[in-house]
Amino acid sequence: MGALLNLSNDTLFVYYLASNLIYLALLITAVWRNTWHRRRLASLRLERLQVSPFTPPITLIVPAHNEEGFIVESVRALSELYYPDLEIVVVNDGSRDNTLLRLKTAFQLRAARLLYLPQIATARVRETYKSDVDPRLLVLDKESAGSKSDAINAGINAASSPYVCVVDADSILEKESLLRIMAGVFSDSHPVVAAGGIVRVLNGCELTEGELRKVGLPRHSIEIMQVIEYLRAFLIGREAWAYFKALPIISGAFGIFSTDLVRQVKGFRPQAIGEDFDLVVRMHRLLHEQEKDYHIAFVPDPTCWTEVPSDLRSLARQRARWHKGLIDTLWPNRDMLFRRRYGRVGWVLLYMWVFEFIAPLVELVGYSTIILAAVLGVLSRQFFVLFLIFGYAFATLISIGSVLLEEMTYRRYSDWREVGRLLFFCLFEHFPYRQMTMFWRLRGIWQYLRGDLAWGEIKRTQTSSELTQK
Amino acid sequence: MDFASKLTPEFGLVGLVVEAILFSVAGIVVLITFIAVRRWYRGRYFQRLNERTFALRSQWNDILSGKVSAAAWRLKRLDCEIVEAMLLDRLELAALPEELPPLLNCLRTSGLLDMRIYQARAEGGWKRRAALIALGRTRAPEAVPALADALDAPEEETRIAAVRGLGHTELAEAAIPVIEYLLWGSQPIPEHIIKNALVNCCHSSPGILLRYLKQSTGRPRAVLARVLGELATAELGEDLILLATDGDAEVRASAARAMGNSQPSLALPVLSVMVTDAEWFVRLRAVVALASINHSARIRPLVRALCDSNRHVRLRAAWALAQLGSNLDDIFHQVVETQDNYALQAFTSELERSGAIEDLVKALQKKDCQNQAHQILLETLQATRQNIAQGAKVLSASAGAR
Repeated sequence: MGALLNLSNDTLFVYYLASNLIYLALLITAVWRNTWHRRRLASLRLERLQVSPFTPPITLIVPAHNEEGFIVESVRALSELYYPDLEIVVVNDGSRDNTLLRLKTAFQLRAARLLYLPQIATARVRETYKSDVDPRLLVLDKESAGSKSDAINAGINAASSPYVCVVDADSILEKESLLRIMAGVFSDSHPVVAAGGIVRVLNGCELTEGELRKVGLPRHSIEIMQVIEYLRAFLIGREAWAYFKALPIISGAFGIFSTDLVRQVKGFRPQAIGEDFDLVVRMHRLLHEQEKDYHIAFVPDPTCWTEVPSDLRSLARQRARWHKGLIDTLWPNRDMLFRRRYGRVGWVLLYMWVFEFIAPLVELVGYSTIILAAVLGVLSRQFFVLFLIFGYAFATLISIGSVLLEEMTYRRYSDWREVGRLLFFCLFEHFPYRQMTMFWRLRGIWQYLRGDLAWGEIKRTQTSSELTQK
Repeated sequence: MDFASKLTPEFGLVGLVVEAILFSVAGIVVLITFIAVRRWYRGRYFQRLNERTFALRSQWNDILSGKVSAAAWRLKRLDCEIVEAMLLDRLELAALPEELPPLLNCLRTSGLLDMRIYQARAEGGWKRRAALIALGRTRAPEAVPALADALDAPEEETRIAAVRGLGHTELAEAAIPVIEYLLWGSQPIPEHIIKNALVNCCHSSPGILLRYLKQSTGRPRAVLARVLGELATAELGEDLILLATDGDAEVRASAARAMGNSQPSLALPVLSVMVTDAEWFVRLRAVVALASINHSARIRPLVRALCDSNRHVRLRAAWALAQLGSNLDDIFHQVVETQDNYALQAFTSELERSGAIEDLVKALQKKDCQNQAHQILLETLQATRQNIAQGAKVLSASAGAR
């Protein structure tokens, strides 16, 4: 028994050390890459890109399911984005509220019998609408198939541009975000088939009519923790993985994709729980199998602001769902591991298996065996305490590193007090917040194994009208 | 942790962990201190920048005319940065040609231009790239050789900065090193950046592109043709006809695009042939070009393109025809005469999209009493609308069932 406990504890030690060292390497890479990108931006003239005849059209796809509170402001904000050639396709995905009615009224929609070729299979499209006030706007009214992917696929079928950009109806894109993301695409000497921008936390910001007026930190600790998580995930993780040409995910809230390629991989998988992750992995798979030269890029300056859960229950559901999505993509693509033909992507997927998917299980086993070993007296308490302190301090160092990256580059939180609060909450991210997320992720694994693949409702704190009043 | 405990006396693992803790805590302290110091420093810097900008702006006319000697600001780093930024902004925003000489003169007499040329040649890394971009923004002809030299830099970022700089000059002579690099350069530069630079440099003299196009092959030829397609003017007419029969489909497509800017008498016969090209994207470009030519003779080739085997060409032709507005009933008649259901559906769908369908219905209803043929056309139109709606539903349902 003692030997078994020791083996478990030693494994935990090595695992934790390896995890942190990898993240430290990613942090160092990200600091270098972000600084490099920041300098590169100095030579970029967005206004020239705006008037360039070579800037390709983009179709914005907005899946909307029961979004009556946000949809009109959201579409208005999208139509005001700086980009020379935009098409906006809103997919009303069987909403039971007044989403379609609000769109019809606000944009004077008329039913238009348009040719619609469903190259990707979706639920039935009931009607297509064109706007009399904005010719760029197309609205598809479709039956719900119970998945966001199905709605996006309908939008991809209707898209007429070489690039599609998927945007959540409740997210806010900054005005220059499309130009900025395309600038990243054009500056790459490899063909870029997809690119992701950064997603930031909207909670705490001030909005007027769908436009961001003032950036601010949210009030609740649970939301601030998510601000730190997002900064770390995007500014460190995505930036570094993209540099190694193995970015495994582009956020579903904001990313652009080559339309032809998305159609080639048959769009977003309707049953996928983490549809964004699943799509990018399938794109990697196809392009590696075809031995194509390509790049899936991350561009850190185009920004999308999105609302995050503000109560524990919604956050727990979201994290469980994310973990289900992770398993749901990793498992069908397990044949990409240890195969030379998939290059670095196979290694990143291995990292995700070891340090993302099984992480909550390892932590759970680790905590249990440590406690058991302590009870049985087979544990060096001195070492145990020291190791815990090290683990906490090192992880906090990484979190503060992500705040530093934000400070060195984009500085969206300009107030001293806000930065102070961010730094203060970094101290609590690894105790007790990390343990809570471990529990939620474990629940995700359990739900996945039971076959419970439901999304679950996420409670929203703000409606557009409330936001406007701020 | 027995494994670790046993190792402790031999390898000092506990000591190692203590060191790791100290490293982490020190890292935290350093990062927090760095953030705080950086914020404080930036705050001071911007305050000073603001003060100096205000002071220099109030003497701006004197600085430009030389009444305030360059020695007063040129050797102070912050002042020099501010004046240069203001000069370059003004140069970029200058709408009239007569606004440029005093600005350029100030850059030259103060030695700012020479300094940037020196940096572009002698410095490395980001300092060199910043100098290249600044040189481009000066739009000074003497900046071109230094920018051209940087095209041979081993770092891709420097080459990109050089191409952007050359593009910013908007000088025809700046296009030559870019084109020559495109044709004979050994290192890659993203195509989009090259195309943008060439569009900026060649907009007043697209003939440069044509000259090099004749001696180029492969991908560079397609890039040059693509740029030429955006810039070609009526003066290039005869040469464009030659390109329209080129063996390279990309070149033909660009020639078709460029034809849109030519005289109708020259372009229409060529484009009418090009809508039957073997490559679909050449046909597509020909259709787009036809749409931009204001001549009634374009209707017939557009109607022919509406019966194309490629969906994109059909839809584009439908778009072009639906834009014609006044003759919709006649055009519809011609479309019906083709007896091509795909063409009919594409045209009707485009009329729905553009909202012109109601005008067509009204036009046909008005003429109903005079001509029975219009009644048939009206019925055909309504039937097609119905078919499209039903077809979309059926396709969508069957796709969903798959």
